[in-house]
Formats: sequence, structure tokens, C-alpha cells
Amino acid sequence: MGVSGFSIGRYTVLGLFALVSVIPMIWLLLAPSKTGAQLQSMSPFAFGSFDNYILAWNNLQSLDEGVIVRWIMNSVTYTAFIVFVSVVTATLAGFVLAATRLPFKQFWLIVTLIAMLVPPVALVLPLFIEIKTLGLFDSPWAVMLTSSLFPFGTFLAYIYFATSVPRELYEAAKIDGCNEYQIFWWVARPLARPLLGILAFFAFVATWTNYFLPFVLLASNENYTLPLGLGVLFSATPALNPGLGATQLPIGRPEVALAGLLVAIPILVVFLLSQRFLVRGMLAGGVKS
Amino acid sequence: MGRRRQWHIPSWVMFSPYLFLLVAFGVVPIILAFGSSMGTSMANKDGGLDNYWLVITDFRFLPALRNVAIFLVIYVPVMLFVVTVMAILLDVRHGSRNKYLMLALIVPAAITGSVAILVWYFMLEPTLSPFRDVLNAMGITQARQIWNSGNMAFIFAAMAFFTGAGYWILIQYGSLQSISDEILEAAHLDGAGPVQMAVHIKLPLIKKYLVFMAVLTFAAGLQLFVEPQLISSSVYVGIAKGWSLNQVSYDLAFASANFAGAAALSLLLLLVCLVAGLLLIFKTDFFDRSEHLAR
Repeated sequence: MGVSGFSIGRYTVLGLFALVSVIPMIWLLLAPSKTGAQLQSMSPFAFGSFDNYILAWNNLQSLDEGVIVRWIMNSVTYTAFIVFVSVVTATLAGFVLAATRLPFKQFWLIVTLIAMLVPPVALVLPLFIEIKTLGLFDSPWAVMLTSSLFPFGTFLAYIYFATSVPRELYEAAKIDGCNEYQIFWWVARPLARPLLGILAFFAFVATWTNYFLPFVLLASNENYTLPLGLGVLFSATPALNPGLGATQLPIGRPEVALAGLLVAIPILVVFLLSQRFLVRGMLAGGVKS
Repeated sequence: MGRRRQWHIPSWVMFSPYLFLLVAFGVVPIILAFGSSMGTSMANKDGGLDNYWLVITDFRFLPALRNVAIFLVIYVPVMLFVVTVMAILLDVRHGSRNKYLMLALIVPAAITGSVAILVWYFMLEPTLSPFRDVLNAMGITQARQIWNSGNMAFIFAAMAFFTGAGYWILIQYGSLQSISDEILEAAHLDGAGPVQMAVHIKLPLIKKYLVFMAVLTFAAGLQLFVEPQLISSSVYVGIAKGWSLNQVSYDLAFASANFAGAAALSLLLLLVCLVAGLLLIFKTDFFDRSEHLAR
């Protein structure tokens, strides 16, 4: 009785929390299927029609001659660049720290740890000052370069190469006459596939949703990312704030919900695809070997 | 000698791209910001360290500090408590259901930044929300009953909680897995039930992960910016203007053209996070094993 009572309680608490967790996402998935009026009249969990997704998408294009397509392209390009550069640089650096001799290794590790523990938001204003000085303000490079620093990735890669790859493999390769490039290419790289997945996952999630840094470093609409564009929709249309008055644009709540969905869906898909290694990957940041 | 030099060059070559990014976008901005923080402004014609004092005594500073403090006092303990409870409940039994539960718990992490504003706007709008029955039962029929300045700390805490809780539950669930089976078996043989097991065995063993989480949530919470800024600039206009410390810093830079003050304030916030990070590295045993690995 005691055990089954505990078990029921356990599933009730976990189940309720899980339910509350998924309801907003389910709502967001369904919202663009309804018209503005249906959002009020129908149940929040009712499905309108597929046509309304198309309609909402077409309506979204009325803003600044389809600037939303531009935002999507920008988000894809910036994210692709940042994920590639940050994963490659972090993997190489983590390998060097774990498997080769490098002067001041302990120092680099501690600096990396510090950089990893400071929230990226803390550096936004200092980065703005730097970007202004470099004359890169409002350039896509401002976002792409500054976001490519990935100390957490370097630390994960270091832990991975130090624990998951047996040290004897590096030693054996060294004895066989390999230099560091060769050890990386022929020993570490083939064993690093799970690591690359984890690093790409974290880099993608952090970059795709980033708001503050691009918000401060970019100024023109056409350089914006999709999350920034969503912010533009909040202030340029009466969708969330009727006080802003009716504009000529047919952009209301379903359209704004669709734009939000376009930001959230890639993250959701990545979660689904990577759930297998998610727990393991999260833990890799800890110390379990 | 020659051989040893050869040994290092490839290491440097492979390390340098990361090192370049680390210096260029981790160290240099801090130095430049320090330089800016010494500069002159309309508020301080002489510049120098006075900027730091001026920013702390600015009329916007204390209210923002108070707001962020209230936010942190709600957010950090709730996060710690709920995440610990959920992770321990998940860990009681390792069935296949756990996979689906964890997947559900991570879903809100996809709702962050501007999407979080969008979704929370609807969740807290009594006429549209999927939670409207709950809201109505609480006597809430108009959004204005929720969106008033007295509630902002709670709303931002809720947003931050749901965005972060899923990740942290996964991490703490992972940390619970690192407890050896023998210890759990022994406790079980001694007649420990699931609750005693959690309180007396599991909690003490994952303490360092909980400290790690507390420090990181604190540091991230201190930097609160996006949610109050977006809500206040475009949805409920003015409701959270200059609400958080980072917003004050942003306003100093872009509304008051006081870059020196803005840089000073953001460096002060950075300093708090740096200290928190250094405490984690040198005063807890969290990174012990990794340093040991560094040989």
C-alpha cells in the first residue's frame, strides 16, 4: 500500500509537471491554425484548419516586402557559421588541452572554466564597445565572430578527450611517429563523433535563440535574425498590443504565433533528434567518466 | 631541443583559433569596457573611477537592484527545490516512461527569448489561455490583473524557471545516476524507503551539483534583460522600464548616451559573476576531478 501509494503520488507529480510543460508548446503549434477570431471563440486546444497556416504565412510576407524570409535566411546562415566555427575550434582546443603538451595548460584550463561560468549576457555591452571600435557595428560578422567563442564546448571536448579516449592510444600513436596533427586526425577525430553531436547541439540551441547580443550589435531590419524579427512584429503590429493601433498590415495574433513557431520548431526538432544522448551530454559537463 | 620545439608547434596551431576567439571576444572586450568606464560623460566631465560611484548612486540603480534581488529570491530557491524534487522522483525508478517524461520536461526550453514573451503573453491572457479555467478559478478575468508592476518579479521568475528547469532536471537526474549501486543497495538492505533514501543518501551525494546549479542560476538571473525589456518596450509599454540592472545599463548607454556609466555598471555585474565562477572553481570540489585529469 505504502509503495503503491508513493508510486501513484510520484507519477501524479511528474505527470502534472510534464503536462504543464508541454501545454504551451501544444498551444503554440495549434494557434496559427485558427483565425484571430477563432483564437478567442474556439477552445485553446481546438484545431482550425491547415489553410490558416498558409494564410498566416502569406500575411507575414506583407511586412517590409517579405523581410521575414530574410530573417529566416539570416538565422540559418549565422547559426550555421557559428555552429561550425565554434564546434571546430572547441574540439581542436579541447584535444590540445587533453592529449598534447602545451605550455601553461593549467592556466588555459582555468581561463576556459571562468569564461564558461560567466553568463554570455554579461559581456554584451563590453562586446558592443569593441564592435563599435572595430567598425563592425550592424554587420553580420559582428554576431558571427563574437558568438563563435565556445568555452563550454572546449571544456566538454577536453573532458571527452581526457576520459573517453584511452590515453594509451595517444601514446601508441606518438611512438609510431605521429605528430599532433596526425594524432588528432587519425586517433581523436574518428572517436569524436558523439562529442561533435553534443557540441553542435549546445551551440545550435544557444545561437538560434540568442536575443540580447544580436539585438545590441545589429541595427538594420535586413540584418536581423528571426528571434529579433519576432520582437519587431511585437512592436510593429497590434497583435500583442492593441494600443499600437490598427496598421494596414494583415498581421495579427495567428501570424505572430506562426513566427514564434518558426523560432521554436527547429529547437524542438533538435531536442527530439538528440534525446538519446541528451542526458549523457548534459552529464558530460559534470565529472562522471 | 629541436624535437621539443617541434612537439609544441602543432599544439599551438590547433589551439590558436580558440585562443584567438577567447582573447578577442572574452578578454579584449573587458579591457575596452574598463577603458570606457573611465571615460567622460555629461554626468561626469572628469571621468575616472567616479563613474562607478555615480552609477551606484544613480536614481535608477537601487530600484533595479531591489527588483533583481526579489526576482532572485523567488527564482533561485524555487528552481533548486523543484528541480531536485523532480530529478529525485524520476530517479526512483528507471523505467522506459522516464524517457518520455524527460522529453516532456525539456520542451519549455525551446520557448525562450522573444518566443517566451509571445507564449507567456497568451498563457496569461485570461480570454485566450489554455490555462484560462485555472486563471478564472483564481478570480482572474483580465490580463491587467496579472500584468501589474507588483507581479513582475513573479512573472519573470516563472519565465526563467520554465526555460531552465528542463535542462537542470536532466543534469541533476544525470548526477543521481553517478551514485554507485552498492551504496543504494546497502541503504535498501538497511530498510531505507524512497524518501529516506532521497534525503539521507542521494541529496548529500549530489550536493556539489546543486551548489553548481545554484551559483549558475544566480549568475544568469542577475543578468536578466530580454524578458523585461521586450515586455516593456512593445507589449505592455513601460510596465518594466529600467526594471533590471542590465536594463539600466542599456538605458544609460542608449538612452542617456552615458557609455562610461553603462560600461561601469556592466563591469560591476560581470565582476559579481566572475567572483561566483571563481568560488565554484577554487572553493568547491566541483572541478576537482578535471584538474586532477590535467596532470
